[in-house]
Order: sequence, then structure tokens, then C-alpha cells
Amino acid sequence: MRLLDKRLLVVTGKGGVGKSAVASALALYSARTGKRTLICEINAADRLASLYGKPVGPELTLVEDNLWAVNVRPEEALREYAMMVLKFKSVYRAVFENRLVRYFLRFIPSVAEMVMLGKVLFHVKELQGAAPKYEVVVMDAPATGHAISFLQVPQVLLDTVATGPLWTEAKWMRDLLVDPKTTAAVLVSLPEEMPVNETLELEDALRRKVKIATALVVLNGYTAPRFDERDLTSLGGSALLSLGKNHFDRAQLSLDSRNRLERQVAAPVATVPRLYEETRGPAMVERIADALAKALESAP
Amino acid sequence: MTPPGPPAKPPPAPPRPGVGGKIAPSNPSATAKAPPPAAPQNPFCASLKEDRVMVAVGAGGVGKTTVAAALALRAAVDGRSSLVCTIDPAKRLANSLGLKELGNAESLIPEPRFQAAGLTPKAPLRAMMLDMKQTWDELIERLAPPGKREKILQNRFYQSLSSALAGSQEYIAMEKLWQLRTQRDYQLIVLDTPPTAHALDFLDAPNRVLDFMDNEAARWLLTPALAAGKVGLKLFNLGSSYVAKTLTKFTGVETLQGLAEFMSSISGMNQDFRERATEVRDLMADEKTSFVLVTAPGAERLDEVVRFHTLLRQSHMRIAAVVVNRVHLPPTFEAMGSLNRLEPQLRRKMATTVDEVSALAHADAEGIKQIKKECEGTPLIEVPRFDLDVHDLTSLWKVSRFLCGDEAVARA
Repeated sequence: MRLLDKRLLVVTGKGGVGKSAVASALALYSARTGKRTLICEINAADRLASLYGKPVGPELTLVEDNLWAVNVRPEEALREYAMMVLKFKSVYRAVFENRLVRYFLRFIPSVAEMVMLGKVLFHVKELQGAAPKYEVVVMDAPATGHAISFLQVPQVLLDTVATGPLWTEAKWMRDLLVDPKTTAAVLVSLPEEMPVNETLELEDALRRKVKIATALVVLNGYTAPRFDERDLTSLGGSALLSLGKNHFDRAQLSLDSRNRLERQVAAPVATVPRLYEETRGPAMVERIADALAKALESAP
Repeated sequence: MTPPGPPAKPPPAPPRPGVGGKIAPSNPSATAKAPPPAAPQNPFCASLKEDRVMVAVGAGGVGKTTVAAALALRAAVDGRSSLVCTIDPAKRLANSLGLKELGNAESLIPEPRFQAAGLTPKAPLRAMMLDMKQTWDELIERLAPPGKREKILQNRFYQSLSSALAGSQEYIAMEKLWQLRTQRDYQLIVLDTPPTAHALDFLDAPNRVLDFMDNEAARWLLTPALAAGKVGLKLFNLGSSYVAKTLTKFTGVETLQGLAEFMSSISGMNQDFRERATEVRDLMADEKTSFVLVTAPGAERLDEVVRFHTLLRQSHMRIAAVVVNRVHLPPTFEAMGSLNRLEPQLRRKMATTVDEVSALAHADAEGIKQIKKECEGTPLIEVPRFDLDVHDLTSLWKVSRFLCGDEAVARA
């Protein structure tokens, strides 16, 4: 499977499209194909914990065979990073736990983003013996607008700072992010006009501004056709017509959305059927993972 | 309504209160007024008649912009000159209002658009889309001493402050709101805020920006440098050199240099920023300012809306209502009753559809129950999910009918 040959999958999309659910399902699918997989959520409100039904914190946790999860938050990421640079805990305490320094660090551009992204990319590079410790790292990235600025942080720093430790850090991070063999984006969308427009804009922005190509579009909440024109005619006059018509329209919109995405994005489109049962948490992730498996394994 | 006078002279800056600090309203007549009698049934009826500012808040993708536009439309139709100020670059709002696009200037919604929707507004409706960067630049141009303007606008730290610093979008939206409120005579301004993942970004924005402007930390780290007018080796000669030096290992010298330069170029403006931030906070806490918390019905949104609600409450902001947008309605009994009259194949397909729609409606109803429980004391208004996207004045009007209680989602 070409998608899982990438080392870092950046999952993003407009808020409310099911980005975290798709990211966790994708990671689950990856783990089940036998790849050691790590999923990182970025400073989020513990979505992964409720999606996997297991506690996920700032320390890497095994949530399934082959699948580790972590919630990357700025405070812990900053401490880990500073410790790597400074080597001694006492120095870290004296400097970084100083009230005024903390205050000050907030305003050095993008320090929080740098250290969070740095942690994710560190795990991409991390080795166990000669082999990568994690073969696939899935990043549940911030939503649309924030994703672009988040992923651009290394480049912005390279433009802002001429030399020094931050520059060196930013450099390897940027290089890893824009390496097409390493990194690819997975965009989550919904079968509606505006979300599709935003996905197209996001794909364009990622490709041109951040230099990350999209390897997969996941069209979540897909409605397959059920009624035809004749059905609607037979429903005419019935109180059920609006329900039938609604379903018909949604199926039509789903198909149109899929066609638009397939035409305009140079990546396969995987559809995930709309879920009606009150499934959330692990059961929902399983369902989405199954749908992804089906779509990815039938892809050319 | 009396048009607002010239910008009120700010009260002497009090010691900087936290987000939770209650500040006396800047409008003295508002304090003198007796509290309104028993709460009216629909919270927006009163707000749309009385409030001068309504701020729509909530996470991204819940329909905040639509709700903001529907409220402004309603106020204009009912006779108050209104402005909806959005940050959503989506063209659709512009289109639905009958404009080719929205810019940083206020545009009047053309008459024919109203006529096409069968509406006769009693007062004008205007709309604008906030350009963050331009508003920041305007602020600097107004506040910075002439000789320093260009230097500030070119500084990389300014670029980061005006675009990347968390909270800066929220801050500048508030700044624009303050300008519009004090310099224009709209009877109602509805502000659609940037989608925030963390409620705190929004409420904390003035503090964060003030912190940035505050020289305490910079003075401590960089004083000798600032005094010398440039940062050089002197950075390491001060009492705090151990800290400064270690920090440099982390950020590089240049970063601290650039920051020191920026701090020194804006040092004359601190007082202005501080006063303005105080005024913005006063405006937020004003009796004629209300917040509209917009959310979607799903249980996955519950935590967000509760967090927002709690924070607004703690900060003494008045919440007009929680709007639960795009609620799925259950199939009618009549619809379910006519299932039996269908031929078997169609009946099977239709029965599945009825089950699906019922499941969605049920899940939404459960979510709403939870929101009601968690946000007790705040009115909750449901707006159904319409079959088609909200994309013209007619549909915006329909949304406003639900917001104002002309129509309501029936709940058993």
C-alpha cells in the first residue's frame, strides 16, 4: 500500500468533519497491517482518549497491538526539548521554570508550535537499532487555517532567524516535512459544497505554501444512492416524499462531491459511509477503519 | 435609540484586572437603568431591540457566521441599523447577502435582494469582512510615533504578533469592534468571531496582547541592551546573565536581539494599548453587549460548549442564548404512518431511511438534553438543519425566525 509507505501522515481538514476520528481510524488500520504506528494529537482536548476508549496522555501509550498514542502539549514538549538541549534538569528548572522566562517564551514566535512539531518529527526520525522505531506516524493536525500556519512554522523561522540553535532545529524539521518520500497529507472532507471547496483550497495551500502533497482524501459521511426518480414519483403526495427527496439529494451531493474531489485532487478519494447508529468511541473508529481498509485496498 | 456620542473618555486605567475582573460599564446611563422586568420568552427579541453589540462565539464549523448574519438581518428588518462583521473568508455569506465579495469596508446590502426574499427592511443592513493584517497595520499607524511606524511594520516580531501570536486574531477583532462601536452609529453590531479551538484564546486575547506589550519581562532580560540602543555582548553582562545566556542557547542571540529591538520601538505605545485593552474589556462587559454561544447538537461538541459557557460566565459576560444549530428533526408521525401504503421494495428502503433519520434526531435530542443540563440558566434555542445550504436572504430569514421564536423545533 503506497500510503503507508510514507513515514508521516498529516491528517487535517475543516473543523467538525471528523478529522480526529479519521486520524485514529487510519492509525488503527496502519497498525493492523503490521506497521508499528504512532498517532499524535496536537494540543487537543484528549479526543484520542475517548476515541480509543483508553487513557492517552503526554507520555506515549500502547493502545493496541502495534499502536501507540500521545497527546502532544506545549508545556511537556517544551520541557522535553529543553532537556535535550540543556542536558541538566537543574538548569532547565532554573531557567525555564523562571516565571519571567515563561512569560517571555510565549512571545518568541511560534516556540510552542516548534516544540510540538519537533516532538512529532523526532519520533519520525527515532530509531530502534537500525530500523525506525515507528514505521508510520499519524499526526492529527490542527484544523484548516491553523494547520497551514502550524506546518509552516519551521519555514517561517528559517525566514526570521538567520542562524543559531532555532535555525538548526527549524532546518531539519522543514526538510523532513517537505520530503515527499517521508511526508504526505490526508485531507478529511464532507460531501457538501463548502467543505469540498475548503478541501480544494487546503490541498492547494499545502502543496504550494508548505510543499506537502496530498496522498489521500477521505470523504466522510458519504451517502450512497438509495432512491431513483421513479421512487420519488411514487412517493408524490406522501408525507414521506421529503425524506426520500432529502436522501436522494444527499446521495447526489455525495456523488458530486466525490467527482469534484477526484477531478481536482491528484490523489485517491476514500469514502466513509455516514454513520447513523449512535456509535462513537472505539466502535466508531472500528467502522471507519473498516471503510478505509476497503477503500485503500481496492485502490489502484 | 440615540446615536453614540464621541468615544467616551476612558476611565483612569485601573490596576490590570484578570479576565474575571468585573469592570463597571463605561456608559453611565446604562448603570442607572433598572434591571429589565421578567425575562421575555425569547432572549433574542429583547437583545435585538436593546443590545448594541452581539458577539457570536463557538468552535469552527458550527454555523456561527450564518447565525450572526441572521441576527443582523432580523434587526435591520425590524428597524435597527445593523452591521454584521465576519471573519469568515467564505464567499457564500457575501453571496447570500447579495454582494460579490466582502471587504474590510462596510458594504450596504442592496434593496433588490431584500425584495427578492419578500422582505422590507425598516433600517439599512451592512456587512463587512475583517481583514486582520490590515486592521493591525491601521492600529500601528494610528498609535506609533511617525518616525517609528515603518520600522515596526517591517519588524519580524510585529509580523508574528499580527498574524501568528495565539489570540492576536481575537484581539484585533475586538479592536475593530471597539472602533465600530465608538466611531459609527450602528444601532446593532453583530460580530462573528474567529473559530477558536480554545475558548481561552478568545477571552484571554486582550491579556495576552497586553502581556506582549508589557515590558516587565523584556526590561528584566534586556535592559542594558535597550539602554544602549542595541543588543550586543552587553546582553551577557547583566545580573541575569545566567538566564539570558541559557536562553540564548535555546533561541539564538539574534532572536533576543530582534525582540529587544521590537520592544524598544513599541515602548512608547504601551500606555495606548493598555487603555484600549481596558476599553475593550469594558465594552465586553457592558450591559448592552451580549454573547451568543453557537454550537452543533452532537455529543462530541458538548465539552466545547460547556467550556465556553463556563468561561463566559466566570468572566461575567452576558450570554443571550446558546444556539444549537443544524438540529436533525425526527420524521413526523404522518410520514411514518404512510409507510404501510407503499409497495414492499420502496417500503423497505423508506423504512431504513426513517430509522436513520430517527436515529440522528434521537442522538441530537440527547445531546441537547445534556447541553441544557450543563448550561442551566441560559436560554437554549434550536435551529433545525435545513434541507439545503443556507445560501440566500430567504434562508437567512428562515434561520432568524427560529432564533426569534416565530418558529420552534417541537419537542415532546
